[in-house]
Amino acid sequence: MQEQFGQQNRSFEFTGRGWEYFKIWIVNLLLTILTLGIYSAWAKVRRLQYFYRNTRLDGASFDYHGLPKAILKGRIIAVGLLIAYNASFQISPILGIVVAVLLALVMPWLLMRSLQFKLYNSSYRGLRFGFAGDKRDAYRAFLMYPVLAAISVYLLAPLAHQRIKQYQFDNSRFGSTAFKLHATAKSFYLLYLSALAVLIGTGLLVFALAIMSGTGGGVKGLNPLFIALAPFILFAVFMVLGSVFGAYMQNLVWGNTELGPHHFYSHVSARRLLWVGVTNFIGILLTFGLFIPFAAIRMTRLKLEAMGLAVDGDLSGFIADQQLQATAAGEEAAEMFDVDISF
Amino acid sequence: MSTSPSDAVPQVAAAYYDGHTAASRAVTLSIDGGDLLLQGGTVELRWPLHEVRISERLGNTPRLISHPGDGHCEVNDQAGLDKLLAQTGAGRSWLDAMQHSLPWALAALVLIVVSVAAAYRYALPWGAENLAMRLPGSVLQKMGDSTLETLDRFMLKPSKLDAARQQALSEAYARLTPPADAQLKYRIVFRSAPDVGANAFALPDGSIVMLDELVELTQDDNEIIAVLAHERGHIERRHAMRMVLQSSAVGLALAWYVGDVSSLLATAPAIIMQAKYSRDMEREADDYAAQTLQANGLSPCLLADILDKLEAAHRKAQQEEEKQAPAEPGKRNVAMDYLASHPATQERRRLLCAE
Repeated sequence: MQEQFGQQNRSFEFTGRGWEYFKIWIVNLLLTILTLGIYSAWAKVRRLQYFYRNTRLDGASFDYHGLPKAILKGRIIAVGLLIAYNASFQISPILGIVVAVLLALVMPWLLMRSLQFKLYNSSYRGLRFGFAGDKRDAYRAFLMYPVLAAISVYLLAPLAHQRIKQYQFDNSRFGSTAFKLHATAKSFYLLYLSALAVLIGTGLLVFALAIMSGTGGGVKGLNPLFIALAPFILFAVFMVLGSVFGAYMQNLVWGNTELGPHHFYSHVSARRLLWVGVTNFIGILLTFGLFIPFAAIRMTRLKLEAMGLAVDGDLSGFIADQQLQATAAGEEAAEMFDVDISF
Repeated sequence: MSTSPSDAVPQVAAAYYDGHTAASRAVTLSIDGGDLLLQGGTVELRWPLHEVRISERLGNTPRLISHPGDGHCEVNDQAGLDKLLAQTGAGRSWLDAMQHSLPWALAALVLIVVSVAAAYRYALPWGAENLAMRLPGSVLQKMGDSTLETLDRFMLKPSKLDAARQQALSEAYARLTPPADAQLKYRIVFRSAPDVGANAFALPDGSIVMLDELVELTQDDNEIIAVLAHERGHIERRHAMRMVLQSSAVGLALAWYVGDVSSLLATAPAIIMQAKYSRDMEREADDYAAQTLQANGLSPCLLADILDKLEAAHRKAQQEEEKQAPAEPGKRNVAMDYLASHPATQERRRLLCAE
């Protein structure tokens, strides 16, 4: 990395600890069960606050300000939509399709509002983040490109993915400073094609092994051991490929993101992502889920601590978004950013 | 006023952010009367304590102290802040205490297990029964139709039973009193399924799928009527719908816990095929069958007779299968055992032939 004058790499630090979070998680789980799910909104706020406040950059921590009631409202909407979707298909397939189309039409708007909610309710060094994306671009990113991807038999899927990321990042703000994503559609295509090549290659290799170790006679003579093991092989392949793809995607996106004069870097290791992913999975399985909080801490630490910000000068130069600041104080904000459908 | 030694007036180091810029300023916090003082460099602020918002303790994360419109402080020194706040008499909330104690975490774990078990054992069947008994006929029809459609596509074959026997059984079933509940369609759907073996099962809409393999077990149509009466017991009490609702609820809870929501109602055919009714449900259906048979001048013992034959048939099928393919991996015995979840046949005979 080229070291410029006055530029310093500041890594994200994550100070969350497994046992500490376990205690918070289990109390949240109990209260969620006893309140038949209503407390889950409050639990989400505590969970995010725990993770945000344990995330530090240059000595300062992040914070989350979402109001549980807004989250509860969002969850009621999400559950309602899910029930409407499932029930409509039970009543009639035509009604089901109508509801599915309606859902597809409102989804971009809901996603946009969720991004607004999430970013507006995040802060660092006393400044709020923000999201300036408009409706038209939301419909392009979350509806038009996915539809194009689907009708092009997913030839345009990497492009769609890049456009979605671009919509999310380019419209994000820290105070009044904009984020900027430089990752191109071409780089997304390269990543997707490599993954596809590895997937096909692995598939062919496993198939060849199954035929060679079988009784001969082509497909009919496949080694029964391979047929029995097929789900496990498939699971292993997706676990490995998922980790590698996930790592490269994080590095691609965050390694090409700028915030004003500063730029992010990300060097998460695919090998470690795989290790943490596999051990988390086994841990959760063996403990009937009690390992979930530990798994979350481990994964977050791995992903965050591999990232950082190459700071140009120092970080005190950011200023608040005046418009946001004005509404933030009033009650208007509560009404403006009232939906969060993400879980 | 002179600055006193640090042990006299508790002070805590903090970073102050004004909310307008990202600049961080080191300050010390202290309490002066009813106010919180922030001092350091160019910062000199006095916040009335009752207007100050102090974030709750959350693990070892920094505490945030804010004053609306005036920015906030980040405090990393938990112990120091606790000492400082002790002066103000502010106590900890019960939730705060719970979230940070290992005994409470373990108690919460026990309470979770107990409440989940109680919900599964009592609340779930109760809720499913209440909902199932209130569902309109149209919903039951839809469920019944889609279930039969799926079963027909994957497991069931057309019946080879001759039309006269089908007709005779259908008519005998139609004569069975008490008469049909208007919400449901009472009918027998004749099918064959050699892989499944002798079986009959009720669909949510009131249809009973009767497999040739069961009909062929006996020459006595009254024994078939006894099975139909038992299945009608399941129908009257909406057992199939209750099972679908229960496992949907379990699926939903699991999906939420594991964090992966997948299709739920798609599992309905599998649930009905497995027909793992609870023992209580089987007893309800047996009681219903006994009453129905008596009301129609038939002996409840008939059900016990056909159950014996079923048990014998399944045992034989199982033995044959084991002989043909001794424990071949990959091919499991797919015959769902009509008797597996049923109370022991001996016990049922005793209850059915009691009078």
